[in-house]
Amino acid sequence: MAKIKLHRISKSFPGVKALDQVDLEVSEGEIHALCGENGAGKSTLMNILTGNLQPNKGTISIDGHPTKINDPQDAFAKGISIVYQHLSLSENLSVAENIYANGHPINSIGFISYAELYRMTDRLLQELQLDGIRPKTKILNLSAAQKQMVEIAKALAKNPSILILDEPTASLTGKEAAILFSLLRALRKGGTAIIYISHRLEEIFMLADKISVLKDGKYQGTWPREQMNEGKLIKTMVGRNVESLKNESHSTAEPLLSLRNLSGDGFTDISFDLARGEILGLAGLVGAGRTPIANAIFGAEEYREGEIFLNGQHLPGGHPVKAIQKGIAYVPEDRAHLGLFLEMSITDNIAIGNPKSTLKKGWYSLGKAKKIAEKYTNSLRIATPGIGQKTINLSGGNQQKVVLGKWLNTDPEVLIVNEPTHGIDVGAKFEIYEILQFLASQGKGILMISSDLPELLGICDTILVINKGKVAGKLPIAEATEEKLMALASY
Amino acid sequence: MKQILQERIYLLIILLVTVCLVAGITFPTNFLTFSNFSQILLNVSVDTIVAVGMMLLLISGSFDLSVGSVVALTACLTAYLMQVLHIPIPMAIVLGLCAALVLGWINGYLVAYKGINAMIQTLAMMGIARGAALMLSGSGSQNLPYWFNTIGQSKLLGIQMPIWYMLLTVGIFTFLFKKTIFFRRYYYIGGNEKAADLSGIQVKKMKMLGFVISAGLAGVAGILISSRLGAALPTFGRGLELRVITAVILGGASLTGGYGKIPGALLGTLFMGIIANIMVISRVSGYWQEIILGIILILTLGLDKLLLKRYAQTA
Repeated sequence: MAKIKLHRISKSFPGVKALDQVDLEVSEGEIHALCGENGAGKSTLMNILTGNLQPNKGTISIDGHPTKINDPQDAFAKGISIVYQHLSLSENLSVAENIYANGHPINSIGFISYAELYRMTDRLLQELQLDGIRPKTKILNLSAAQKQMVEIAKALAKNPSILILDEPTASLTGKEAAILFSLLRALRKGGTAIIYISHRLEEIFMLADKISVLKDGKYQGTWPREQMNEGKLIKTMVGRNVESLKNESHSTAEPLLSLRNLSGDGFTDISFDLARGEILGLAGLVGAGRTPIANAIFGAEEYREGEIFLNGQHLPGGHPVKAIQKGIAYVPEDRAHLGLFLEMSITDNIAIGNPKSTLKKGWYSLGKAKKIAEKYTNSLRIATPGIGQKTINLSGGNQQKVVLGKWLNTDPEVLIVNEPTHGIDVGAKFEIYEILQFLASQGKGILMISSDLPELLGICDTILVINKGKVAGKLPIAEATEEKLMALASY
Repeated sequence: MKQILQERIYLLIILLVTVCLVAGITFPTNFLTFSNFSQILLNVSVDTIVAVGMMLLLISGSFDLSVGSVVALTACLTAYLMQVLHIPIPMAIVLGLCAALVLGWINGYLVAYKGINAMIQTLAMMGIARGAALMLSGSGSQNLPYWFNTIGQSKLLGIQMPIWYMLLTVGIFTFLFKKTIFFRRYYYIGGNEKAADLSGIQVKKMKMLGFVISAGLAGVAGILISSRLGAALPTFGRGLELRVITAVILGGASLTGGYGKIPGALLGTLFMGIIANIMVISRVSGYWQEIILGIILILTLGLDKLLLKRYAQTA
C-alpha cells in the first residue's frame, strides 16, 4: 500500500494554475524521483506536502487515511521531513542547535541540556558518516556543501517516514553526493518513502525506483526506472525533442576585450583576449576565481595590478556604471540575490539596464518602458501573463531571460554570463544557448562562466580553465574534452 | 477593484472619505467646515514636509530618526544667526538650511560609505543635533523679525502659506518620483541593493543623497515652524520622527524598502491629523489619541495582509 498518496491535487495562484489535478503515489522503501522543468509545479507540490500551502482541490492520504496537512509542524507530526533547496539554517548558531532546532533535549529541571544535545548530534553525524563536521561549529564557518549535509541531517533527526529532498546535490561535490546516495539507499532499505527532486538526470537514473513527471502543473505519468531513458524523460518533461546544440563559430580575429596581467583578490596574472563573435568559456571549480575576474572586468570589484582594454582603449574601473557605459553587460550567478528586483515588474527590471532608453523629452515615460519590455518579452519568449507581472512569480528560466533582456537593451559589446543556466530547466537552457549564439553571430563577444562542462563544450569557441586564481590552460573547442578540462581544473 | 484595494493610497482615500462622512454626520456644525479643514491642513503641514523626505528614505530601504532634532537645530541656528549675530535674514535662512544638509550628509556618508547601521547613526545624530539646538538657544528665542515671520504667517487666496508649501513639496516630489530616473532609482535600491549596484546604480552615492534630501526637507520644516510661531524652541520636533514614520507607513511604505508613493506621505499625515481633530471635537482626552493612532496603524497593516491573502486565494 502506498505510504502517501496524492489524488487530483490542484492549486492556483493569481494568474497561474500551478497544479492541475496531480496524482502521486509513493510506497515505503521507495525512492521516487519527481521531474519537471522549473515552473512545472514541483515546488508547489512540495509546499503542499509540508503544509506551507493548502491545495484548492484534491485529497492527501497517508497510510490509506485521508488527511489534511495544516502547517509545517503538522507535517513533522505526520512524519514528513523536507530538505530545502535553499538553506534554512541559522548562520550564527551551532550545528547541533540547528539540527535540533525545535527539539532541544532538556534536563531534569527543564533547562536545555547541552551535553546531551552535543552527544545526540555527534551520534547522528557519525551515523551519517559526516565525521568532518563538529556539533559545536557555527554554521557560518561551514562550506556550502557541509551546510547542505547539515540540512539533510536536520531533516533526518526527526526520523521521518516520508523524506523529501529538493535538489540536494546542487552544492555538493562528487564525493559528498556519493555519501548522500549511500545514505538514501540505506534509508530506502529501512522503509522510508523518499521523494527526490533533481535536475541532474544521471542521478535520477542511478537512484530512483520510480519516476513521475510534471509539466506545466499537469501530471504526465509515473514510470518504473527500467521503462525510462534520458531521451524519453527529457521529451516528457519538455514535451518536444530538444535539438542538440549546433556549434557554428562566429568568431573573428578582431580582439574586443583584452586582459593583461590582471591581479586582484582571488586571482593573479590573468591575461586573455576575447574576439568579436567569440564565445569564450571560463571553466574551473567553484571558488577557482572566475567570479572575481568577471567582477573586476565589470567594475564591481577592485583589482590591484594589470590592465583591461576594450577595443584597444583602457577600460575604467570603480563602478559597474562605467563599464556599462562602455558596452559591457554582466548576468550574475545568483539571479534572485544579484540579478533581479523580485518585487518589481518585468518592465521595471528590464528598464533599469538602460534608463536613458525610457526617456521622452528628458522625462521618464512608463509607456516607453513598457514598449521596451514588450519587445524583449516577445523576442526572448518570456512566458508571463503580462509585463506587469512581478518577477518573483516567474520560473527560473523566464527570470534569467528578464535579466538578459535588461542587458540586451543596453546593446552591449561584451556580455559576461555567470552560470547562466544554473537551476534552469532543459527547455529554457536551450533557448538561452540560442540567444547567446545569436548574439555572437551579431559580433558581440561573450564570456561565459559555467560549471556545466557539456554546456561549455557545446557552445564555446575557446575554453579557458581557471585553477586557484590562475589560467591553467586554454583549449580551442576542437581539442577540448571533459576529461582534459577536469584535469586542468583540479590538478 | 482588485488593483484599487491593493494600492494603499486608494485604500487610504476610501478610509479618509468614510471617516470624514461619519464625522460630518456626527458633528454637523463643527467638522465639515472650511475653517476646520484649513486648521487640519495647517496642523499637518510641517509633519508632511518631513514625511516626504522620510518616504524617500523608506522607499530606499532606510530611515532617519534625527529629523525631529534637525528641525529644532535649523530653527534655533537660524534664530541665533538673526538675533545674536545680526546676519541678514535670507543669509541666516540659507545658513540654517545648509546646517541641515550637512547633518544629512554626515548621516548619509557614515551609513552609505562606512556601513554604520542607519538606526544607530541617526539615533546618535538625534541626540547630537538636539544638544546643539539646546546649546544655541537655551530656553528658546522669541520675537523673531517681522519679515521672517511673514514666511509662515501670511496667506495666499485665503489659505495659510504653510499649506501651500506642503502642497508644493508633495507636488514636486510626486512629479520627480514619477518622471525622473534619479528618483526612480530609490525603488530599485530599496528593492534589491546588490542588484541595483550591478545594474549600474551608484547605490552609495544615491543613499547618501537620500539622507541629504530628507534632512534638507527637515530644515525647511524647521524654518517654517519657527516663522509661524515667531519663535525658535529647542523642543521643536520632539517625537516628530516616530510620528512621521508612522504616517509614512500608514501611507504605504514598508521598512524593508521598495514600497510607497509620495502622495502616501500626505495621506498618512492627513489621516492622523483628521483623527486627532475628531478627537478634539468630540472632547476625547488627549491621552487617547496616541492609543487610537497605534490601534489604527496596526489595523491598517492587518487589513493589508488580509486583502493580499484574500486575493492570493481567490485568483
